[in-house]
Amino acid sequence: MNYQYIEQLLERYWKCDTTLEEEQILRSFFSQDNVPDTLKPYASLFAYEASNIQDTHLDDEFTRRVMAAISDEAEERPTAKTVSLLARIAPLFKAAAVVAVVVTAGTLSERTMQMNSATQDDADMMANDTYIRNEDITAKIQIIDRHKSEAIACTDSVQSQPATIPANTTELTED
Amino acid sequence: MSCNFCAAHSSLIIESMNDISFTNDILPLKDKLYRLALRVVQNHEEAEDIVQDILIKLWSQRSGWHRIQNIETYSMTMCRNLALDRMGRKEHQNIPFDPAVHDRPDTTWQPDEVLTQRQQIESIETIIASLPEKQRTIIQLRDIEGKSYQEIADVMQIGISDVKVGLFRARNKLKDKLTK
Repeated sequence: MNYQYIEQLLERYWKCDTTLEEEQILRSFFSQDNVPDTLKPYASLFAYEASNIQDTHLDDEFTRRVMAAISDEAEERPTAKTVSLLARIAPLFKAAAVVAVVVTAGTLSERTMQMNSATQDDADMMANDTYIRNEDITAKIQIIDRHKSEAIACTDSVQSQPATIPANTTELTED
Repeated sequence: MSCNFCAAHSSLIIESMNDISFTNDILPLKDKLYRLALRVVQNHEEAEDIVQDILIKLWSQRSGWHRIQNIETYSMTMCRNLALDRMGRKEHQNIPFDPAVHDRPDTTWQPDEVLTQRQQIESIETIIASLPEKQRTIIQLRDIEGKSYQEIADVMQIGISDVKVGLFRARNKLKDKLTK
């Protein structure tokens, strides 16, 4: 038998030039019993490649375990329900949030208004203070003015009666 | 790792194309996923664990199945990524190659010739196990699962040229070891 074709395929197999179909031909060829001695060294490789699929698999016990785990997971719907329940009360949270916003806004605006009126009061008080202080100052100025005019009057009277004093003085000295 | 596809892939998604069923389309992938995970982590229990996690995760994502273009590629990408994740964690613990991969309890009597064939197959397993993860995975996907270069590139999220380079190196290492 001529194995030239197989040898050729094998050569191309090492170069990675074979197609999937040609590689299948090699596996089939080397899986048979009558492999020539020249090609024997490679027989085990292709026999291995061909047998690995049959030799390596998971048992039914594995499948049973996975299916059990999956049905457990599928039964874990209550978890999903809790989520939907949460989703159901979410609008309540929304409403509560809206109420909170309104209340906060209300309180804030009220406080702002209070603060505004407080500022007004403060301003009024300050204005009052200023007025009182102004009045005070005016009164003091008036008092000063009065004292000033009294002082001027005094000086005038002193100047208008210069003679009387020496006379008096004389009188005093004579006493 | 919720979505392993890039934007280019998602733009190709055709909504009405698939109607995926867990028992018909996903569960039958379990052995393929197992072989891939096993090739990456090289430990039976770990690989089984990974496939179980992937299947349960896929089930929990069922509302998004209609957006997946190719459920097999998608599952295999997820599987390899998780396996790499677990392998990365294991590497720090320096766990050696699991001999249980090869030593399956077999009580049936076998003739000598079959036994030697078994031993040969085991030696191939050992050679493949000694390859870097990328090359192991490429060999698995190409020579065992019979996938095209494009499919392998999609699963491994690498370029086609990288797939070819990896496959070339892996096959030639096997050739060298076999002809010695």
